[in-house]
Amino acid sequence: MSRHDRQSFLGKHSESVIKATTVGVVGLGGGGSHVVQQLAHIGTERYVLVDPDTIAESNLNRLVGGTSEDVMKQATKVAIAERVIRSIVREPNIGAYHCTWQEALEPLKSCDVIIAGVDSVIAKDELDKFCRRYLIPLIDMGMDVHEIGSRYLIAGQVVLTTAGAPCLRCMGIVTDELLTQEARKYGAAGSKPQVVWPNGVLASTAVGLFMQLISPWHGKGAPSAYLEYDGNKHTLTPSKSFALIKEQPCPHYFAEEVGDALFDIRKKVQANAVAMDAQVKAADDSSGSQSKFVEFLRGLLPRMRRR
Amino acid sequence: MNFVLKITEALLASVRADLERRHHFAFERAGFLTAGAARTQSGVMLICRSYQPVADEHYERSNSVGAQIGSDAMRNAVETALASRSSLLHVHSHGGLGTPDFSGTDLRSAHEFVPGFFNALPRMPHGLIVLSNDSARGLIWTGPRDKPRQIDGFVQVGSAVRKFGKTQ
Repeated sequence: MSRHDRQSFLGKHSESVIKATTVGVVGLGGGGSHVVQQLAHIGTERYVLVDPDTIAESNLNRLVGGTSEDVMKQATKVAIAERVIRSIVREPNIGAYHCTWQEALEPLKSCDVIIAGVDSVIAKDELDKFCRRYLIPLIDMGMDVHEIGSRYLIAGQVVLTTAGAPCLRCMGIVTDELLTQEARKYGAAGSKPQVVWPNGVLASTAVGLFMQLISPWHGKGAPSAYLEYDGNKHTLTPSKSFALIKEQPCPHYFAEEVGDALFDIRKKVQANAVAMDAQVKAADDSSGSQSKFVEFLRGLLPRMRRR
Repeated sequence: MNFVLKITEALLASVRADLERRHHFAFERAGFLTAGAARTQSGVMLICRSYQPVADEHYERSNSVGAQIGSDAMRNAVETALASRSSLLHVHSHGGLGTPDFSGTDLRSAHEFVPGFFNALPRMPHGLIVLSNDSARGLIWTGPRDKPRQIDGFVQVGSAVRKFGKTQ
């Protein structure tokens, strides 16, 4: 019996499809750490992991894979996620970026799907914009603990959004009011309460939406979804307000906006020629021999320099 | 330098629906996709923006090819691409299943008209795509005098993410 026999219902080619899919995970805290663990078990081999933080003592209540030793060593969250993946997947291809996601745009552009667990509304808004520009489905998780009188309500949501379908603004997850509130609180001390089990529910649902996208096992998949979590009732239900808008086109983003704004193929071709030149020089310097590979590269250069 | 083309499920469905329509004398239809482009670590990603069908009256009668389109169709397509500074991709369908091949006529005519797109839009790559009912093949020119390169893969994004083409 092979490792993936029990998930063969996902399709005859599901194993190769899962292996060939590049997943970006932005934010490797409570939600993202659960996500990478599940992706690894499913058989995902290609990852772009992005998080600017190191683990702290207060993360140990929910960060999957995090240990007391990691806290002492001030391990980065991407390193912890990478270790979790490598303990399950034999030869994963991992791009681990200990930085903000805005500093990892190039690798993120090549992702087939991005799963995000970012706290701020601004980050959600910008990530949605980025994903729409490069036609990348975005699965976003969010969770909050609200104080109501002397009691608490755990609430959250998991959403899937793709270009053309309703965006996070259409869904009301990003609003100007929330952006303004967040901007006012910028730099204020304190952190949101977070616990492990709601993160697990939301992360599992995010992975389910991811699998539905890349290896659908039923015919009712959709390019967008909005599931609301009530942590007090322990329920996850489709948003009623979203049901009213899910068939409507997004009025916030337009197809004409996709791609790099200042793209110039001539610069890309030139940059490739320079890179090729450097490779040839390095090969010459290291061996001093006229290998077939060097000759091959030289043969390509005149064509690339022509313009 | 790898080339990958991304398109939404809805846009691809509208392309297929248009190309399947019968024309009163042409044996097949053609159209134009416009696309944005993005630099990636391994090459270039083309992201489709819109589809422009060739109007019925812009087909010309021909005994030698399935569909011959006139200069008005080309001019309209270039004008559309110019407005959004897009890549321009001629598209038609051969039907059937699996990765389709270009015919000799496809390749000869593309070598004549694609380099002309660079006169109006020198910053963008341009090319030619042939669809089957479940896959595609594409050629991309990076400059008017360059040899075309194969599109390495196609990605359809919608209710599912489906990869097809040369690499699949």
